[in-house]
Amino acid sequence: MVASSPLVKMQSLHKSYGDGAVQVLKGIDIEMKPGERLVVIGPSGGGKSTLLRVMMGLEQIDSGSITFAGQPYVSSASREKKTLIDTEVRRSIGMVFQHYTLFPHLNILQNLVLAPRKVRNEPKASAEARALSLLERFGLAAKARAYPAQLSGGQKQRVAIARALMLDPKLMLFDEVTSALDPELVSEVEHVIMQLADQDMPMMIVTHDMWFAKNIASRVIFCAGGVVVEDGPPEQVLGSPREERTREFIERVFHIKQ
Amino acid sequence: MNYTFDFSSIAIGPLLDGLFVTIQLTLAANVIGIVAGFVLALLLMSPFAIVRVPFMLFVEFFRCTPAIIQVVWFFYCVPMLLDVFLDPLMMGILALGLNLTAFNAEAYRASIQGVPREQRDAGIALGLNPLQRIRYIILPTAFRESIPVLLTNGIGIFQQSALVAIVAIQDLMYEGKTLATATYRPIETFTVVALIYFAVSFPVSQVVGLIERRRALAAA
Repeated sequence: MVASSPLVKMQSLHKSYGDGAVQVLKGIDIEMKPGERLVVIGPSGGGKSTLLRVMMGLEQIDSGSITFAGQPYVSSASREKKTLIDTEVRRSIGMVFQHYTLFPHLNILQNLVLAPRKVRNEPKASAEARALSLLERFGLAAKARAYPAQLSGGQKQRVAIARALMLDPKLMLFDEVTSALDPELVSEVEHVIMQLADQDMPMMIVTHDMWFAKNIASRVIFCAGGVVVEDGPPEQVLGSPREERTREFIERVFHIKQ
Repeated sequence: MNYTFDFSSIAIGPLLDGLFVTIQLTLAANVIGIVAGFVLALLLMSPFAIVRVPFMLFVEFFRCTPAIIQVVWFFYCVPMLLDVFLDPLMMGILALGLNLTAFNAEAYRASIQGVPREQRDAGIALGLNPLQRIRYIILPTAFRESIPVLLTNGIGIFQQSALVAIVAIQDLMYEGKTLATATYRPIETFTVVALIYFAVSFPVSQVVGLIERRRALAAA
């Protein structure tokens, strides 16, 4: 019973911008089990990134709710038009963004220890020791004292992943983390995410890289027009989609003409 | 050209005394401008109009009136209106300091508002609360961003400070005028004075250029 209870349960998420003018999420219901690696694909503007941002508590919602590990996490109080977010629950979720978002005034080590020290009051020595061992694992030990501006895009993104891991997240969100990278730097970042997958880290990934999607996903969701169009194992959604819209999209991104 | 330059009667001693006063004015005005400008920037971003509006007017007063009038006004009107009589140098420092405060506040405000939204997002994703995000992310990033403008404003005040000569503060400009009158050599005197101002300003403006080039490289 406990094993099959969902890690994340999204119910009927609705979100619009500009007083309802643009609806980006039109009723999303997703259940995610512990240990699943959910890859969300779909056309731009289809709501994928918004979904992740709502999951991180970065965006308000119009209606719906999310529970995390059985606890209420995000809900909307429709009367006050306010989104209620449990910030304690939020701290068990980590996120990596497209544009690295390292703090430019702090060196790599300081980037990693800032949150553990301020959010959890972890002693400096222990936070730094953990940070250094993470950097070691990601092949970045030599960069501990460097500043973000001195790093390549791939290195910055690996640091961003390490920084998120410092808070021992129970779920990792990756929002197009390789989209801003030069092609030759993509694999070093994907490799790190693969390492996390090997350790059964639950993750939600938004990506345009179908090769990566195929390799990492335990489940793929095709999202378009603010709804889940197709949801299934990668072999199905990427290989032989059941829905016409999914097939069109897959053909376009793989450049396959039939 | 039938004018013969003659620098022989230009005594550098009084000019250096004047430069010393000018540098004192500049440094003190910059301390005021850098500290008070920061506080003023925070007040300018207050969500409460009743706090924000008076300080906006304060800034606009300094931005929309000639600096020379600000100096004169301070020198003659403040003592009359408020019944405070300060040492002239102190008055000059206050006038220039408040002028710089207004301009620096705008520089701080622009760079605080210019911190990318992603930085805020990253702070939230790392569990930092709003105050921690301001304290550890927004303000330090913004402060770094504003350094070139602060330096430019600061060196601007060094030049503007020549205005206090008209209220008899014995700065570089004042000493220059005195020397010009005494020697009947205004052209030579003001050439030397200009060179002294240049010699101080130029390196600072080079530093600003260097910082901006390094920024551009880092951003690329």
